[in-house]
This record gives sequence, structure tokens and C-alpha cells, in this order.
Amino acid sequence: MSTLDFATAPQAQLSPSRMIGVVLIMSVAAVSLLGPLILPGDPLAQSLTKALAGPEVGAPLGYDHLGRSVFHRLADALRLSPVIALAAVMMACAAGLILGTLTATKGGWIDKGLVMLADALLALPGLLLILIVLAMVPGTVVGFWAGLSLVLWVEFFRLTRAATRETLASPAVQASRLLGFGPVYIFRVDIWPEIAPMMLTAAAFGTATAIMAIAALGFVHVGMRAPTPELGLMMVELLPYWREAPLALLSPVIATFALLLGLTLLAGSRET
Amino acid sequence: MSLLKAEDITVRDGPATLLEPLSLRLEPGEPLVILGETGSGKSLMAQAIMGTLPPGLEAKGQVGVGKHMLNAAAPQRFRGLWGREIGVLPQEPWLSLDPLMQARSQIAEAHRLVRGLDRPNATTRAEADLAALGLAGAANKYPHELSGGMAQRVAIAAARAGGARIVIADEPTKGLDAARRDDVARLLLSEMGQIGGLLIITHDLALARMVGGRMIVLRSGKIVEQGTTNQIFAAPQHPYTKELLAADPENWTPRQRAGSGQTVVSTSGLAVERAGQHLFSKITLDIHAGEVLGVTGPSGCGKSSLGDALLGLLKPAAGTITRGSEKHAFAFQKLYQDPVAAFPRKRTLGRTIYDTLTLSGGRPNEVDALLARLGLDPRLLARRPDAVSGGELQRVSLLRVLLRNPSFIVADEPTSRLDPITQAQVISLLTEIAAQDDVAVMLVSHDAALIRNTSDEVLDLGPHGVPDTFENATDVRVGT
Repeated sequence: MSTLDFATAPQAQLSPSRMIGVVLIMSVAAVSLLGPLILPGDPLAQSLTKALAGPEVGAPLGYDHLGRSVFHRLADALRLSPVIALAAVMMACAAGLILGTLTATKGGWIDKGLVMLADALLALPGLLLILIVLAMVPGTVVGFWAGLSLVLWVEFFRLTRAATRETLASPAVQASRLLGFGPVYIFRVDIWPEIAPMMLTAAAFGTATAIMAIAALGFVHVGMRAPTPELGLMMVELLPYWREAPLALLSPVIATFALLLGLTLLAGSRET
Repeated sequence: MSLLKAEDITVRDGPATLLEPLSLRLEPGEPLVILGETGSGKSLMAQAIMGTLPPGLEAKGQVGVGKHMLNAAAPQRFRGLWGREIGVLPQEPWLSLDPLMQARSQIAEAHRLVRGLDRPNATTRAEADLAALGLAGAANKYPHELSGGMAQRVAIAAARAGGARIVIADEPTKGLDAARRDDVARLLLSEMGQIGGLLIITHDLALARMVGGRMIVLRSGKIVEQGTTNQIFAAPQHPYTKELLAADPENWTPRQRAGSGQTVVSTSGLAVERAGQHLFSKITLDIHAGEVLGVTGPSGCGKSSLGDALLGLLKPAAGTITRGSEKHAFAFQKLYQDPVAAFPRKRTLGRTIYDTLTLSGGRPNEVDALLARLGLDPRLLARRPDAVSGGELQRVSLLRVLLRNPSFIVADEPTSRLDPITQAQVISLLTEIAAQDDVAVMLVSHDAALIRNTSDEVLDLGPHGVPDTFENATDVRVGT
């Protein structure tokens, strides 16, 4: 095996902006996951005497209009939307990859049909599509997951289809086929390395889009229902009290902003 | 008086000297050829003379253009000469034309902006230029409507529009087939006329021979030899020049015809179309084990498509292809023009080779034996395809193909992007393997001399080789 002891490729270095993105996401995750462990509390427990009160040891971000700890509600909300978003992105990514590879390989009427469907979905406003699904599917969380998946898969599908078609036409794939490598090897060695960086970027953007969609629908009272802690819902609930409890209103705003900025930075600077 | 005089030009990248002190003179009516392979510093030299070196590189020396004497270390002062004194013909000129501009406007723009003529005058001059180059009918055409040769003439007219007497052509024949290459050489020579200066930078020996004049041979930033072109071609002095000239396919000793073995693949009445365009028809040929079939012809004549059809990658429009008794299903292999594109981009060569070895069920010492046979350094396998030189990578491709124990290899322009010396190495390895391993090789090349001197049988798909209509065609038979 002397000559085949090849060196492993050097690990890709994270660019500074990507690093900042990772740090932002990690700190939001730390607040939502570790926060309630260090400082246990109930996000739904009301104590009206403390309504709109300032920060104290048991509630570092103060209380909302119903006397609930903003910190514990925020930690809960920061688990809810990202989990729905990640589940939807994973579903969309899987569907996009499978269908994109299928259409790029097979072509013909499958290709035409799916491209037409994707274009049709793209022509509809995403939020409207999610609202329709929410109305049809029982359970808000499942509804969001299904609706977001339906909106997000189109991008993964289009990216996969375009990149795979190009790669399949390349001499590298032709050579692999002539040598007798099967479709699984060709996907793993020739196609996946080409589309993986794009998938990561699209997944980060997709997660950000999904979190924003959940917050936006919460903000206009058509998403998650009270008393579930949700970022957009928290903002709209606290909006009337911005003068009395600015910190309580700013907390979900800053947390959402940090999370979205982190995801965008993670997505933005991709090296190929 | 010399049109261009360069004295003691050096190019440095920090502490590294890329081009050692070099002096040259360009006389009216006498072209100067700078010959060298990739990395010899020939393009750096041209950039130093024009003041277009990339940032980070520093030049030293004196450049005299007409009455101006300039310091190569201060490139910003060269700007005023561009277009007016020195015109540059870019590599692959059809890519340098504006795709949204008609031929007339491309040239008129240079007249207007460089020479300072007003719009009507610039247009009149542009039309006169086009007419002088035999392109009067092409004034309203966009670059995509022009043939390669026409686009090249438009680019030359635009380069000359500023009134430059000196034309510097950097690899003007890159990517051209033999016929087009000769056209370009003739065009450049006629453009230069009696008073103009022509500086050609190339690695193409055939172009150098056609242009004549004086020649400088460069290697690793040093002048190896200089003199008149005819004299150097007739009696090279330096060992490197001798090696370079010996690597010219024109000077190869023709291959001894090997005794042909069993039929590996045969066709009868084969016709091929690609993207609805008819390429050739009625080709009947037999390819035998141990034989090299050379296929030549101008670009677009269907050389590569014939190879793809034989490999089963392209369905023939008519006729049949019969494979002989082959060893296994994957015994038909291909070598590509651009080997970098033929390997998985992000995988080390070693892993790709190892995968192929596993697939064919070979033992690791097979790889060691082939590495030694192909003269490859085992350390290359730790690199990715884009970190290996073209000649080495083409040999790694050959290694990968040989691991599959092939009976037929289609080599599609395998050396058209390589320097002459590397080309000679790769081709001789290929023909050696054909003879020793009893492999049939179909060698596709636009270089007629290369094909003539390496092949047992030659198939010319050029306009005179194959009749191109179904009706009055007679069968073309090779090796039957």
C-alpha cells in the first residue's frame, strides 16, 4: 500500500464572517438550551403583581404584561422556531436532492412536470402557501413544518437539478461511467462534492427564511397561538408596552436579529 | 531604426527572479518570435515590455518605442503608448470581442477613442479597414455570426486601429487547428507589411517556422538561444533547442508498423450526427489489437464524435458498430483533451486511482508497477487534479485507464494542451502501450504531422478525406 497512502486534504478554514455567524448561533443556542437549566422557571406561570416589572435574579429580562418571565419565554421561543425551521429545511433538502437528482438523470416528462410544479409554487407568495397549509393541517407545529417544507424544497430542487445536469455532462462523469462505476459512486464522488457547499448555503438561508416566516405569521396573529411563547407573538404582545418595558420588547427583537444574522453570515461566505 | 528596443529587462517576484536580463530589438519588416514552453517567462516578458505586469511583480530595464525611452519599472507611463504605438492581439481574439457590438462598431470605437476621430470619420475608417481585410460584408455582423477566422481579422483591425506599428501577438494560434493556424500566420505577416513590427509569443513550432524572421528561445526565464529562425531550425546549437525541435511532430520518426492482431472493433457504413448536424457517413473501418488508428481533420469535422460512437457514448445515425471478442464490459476506455476535467475535482488522485483499482479487483502493486512504467512520482497521488501539471495528469489518466485492462483506448486530442516535449513523451508512451499490451488505440488529433508519424492507419475526416453527402458517397474504408 506504499503509494496509496495519500495525504488527507487539509481542513477548510472558516472565514472570519462565517466564524462570527457560528458564534452568534452558538450563543443564541446557549441561551435557549442552557439558560433554563441554570435558572429554572416556568414560561407560562403568571403573576400579575409583577406585570411589566424590571429584571431581577429569577427573571433576568424582566416580566411581560401578564407577569411572565421574559427570559424563560424567550428561551422557549428560541427552541420552538429553530426546531420547526430545521425540520422543514431537512425535509425540503431531502426532497429537493432526491427529485433534483432524479430529474437531472432521467429528463423527459418527469423533468418537465416537476420543473413546471416548482415554477408554479415559486409564483405563489410563500407566506400565503403556508397559511393555506396551516388552515388544512391540524396542529400548528405540523402545519408550519409541512407548509415551510412545501415552500423551501423548490430552491433545493432547482439548485440540485442545475448542478447535477452540468456535472453529469462533464468528462469526469463520462470517464467514471466508462470505467464501470455505478450511479451511487458517481453521486458520491462526482456530484455530491459539487452540490454540498451550495446545499449548506441554501440550508442556512432556508432556516433563516423559515424562522422569519414563523415570526411574521405570529406577529400578525395567524401563526402560533397564545400562550405559546413564539418570537413574533412575543413582539406583538409587548409592542403596546414599549414605553413601560422596553427591555421586554427588545429581548425577542435582538434574539431574532442575532439568530438571522448568524445564519446569513454562515450562508453568505462560501468557498468552493 | 529599430521599432522597439528593450534592454536588460528583468522581472522579479520579491526575491525570486522570473526573467533574467534580456535584451531584444524589433526591426521593421522582420518578425521576432519568442519561443518557449509554459512557464518559460515568455508572456511575462511581453507584459514587461507593454507595462501590463500583474501587481506584485516588478520589472527593471529600459524599453525604447520609437522616439520614447521608458523605464520598465514605471509601468504607468506605458499607458499612452497602448494602441497608438503598441497594439496587442489578445489570446483567443474571438473571446475578446464585445458580443453585443457589430464588427464595424468594434473597430470604429478604437478609431474614435484611441485615435480621437469623430464618429462619422471613425465609422468610415472602420469600413475601410474591414474592406481591406476582405470583410466588407461583415460590417453589420455580431461576433457570434462571424467565423473564427473572421473574428480574428476583426480583432486585428481593432488592435491596429489606433495606428500602432508594433503588434504583439500572445499565443495567436492557441486552440486552432492546422489550417486556421496557417491562416493566422499569413494574416499576421501580411498585416505587418514592410514597415510594421511583429512580435509573436508562442510555443507552436509550426507557427514559428511559418513566420520566420528572428527567434529567441526562452527557458525558465533565460535566453537559451537566439538567431534567425531558419538558422535555428536548420542547426540548433543548445541541447534544449535540439530537444524542443526533435519534439516537433514534423521531425518524429514514423512508427514501425506492428503486426495487427484480432479485430477489436469494426464499423460498417457508419454515419454520425450530433445535435441534429450531419458529420460524416459511410465509414467502414476495422481496428485491430496493437494498432494505432490516427484520425485527423479540422475542428468540427466529427473526430471526437467518431470516438464517442465507437465507445458507445453516441448513437450512430446509420450503420453498425461491432465489438470484437472483448475481455470484459469496460474494456473500451477514453483519454480526454483536458485531463483536469476528467477527474473528480475534489478528490486526491490517489483515492480515484484506489477506487479504480478496487473496482477492477487489482492488487496495489499493480499501481506501483504502472507508476514506474509511466515515469510518475508516487507523491503526485497525494494531490488533487488541479495541482498536477498537464503532462503528468495525462499520464495519471493513462494509468487509471490501464488499471481497467483495456482492449481499446480512444485518445481524444490527448496532447493538444501540452508543450511539445511533454507531448512527445505522452504520445510515445501511448504508442508503446499499444504495442506492448496489445491494445488498440484510436488517436484523435488536429495535427496531421503527429498523426502521420504515429499511426498505422490514418483516417482523414477533413473536407478532402470523406465525401459529406449520402448520395454520391463512396465507402471510406480503413484497415479492412
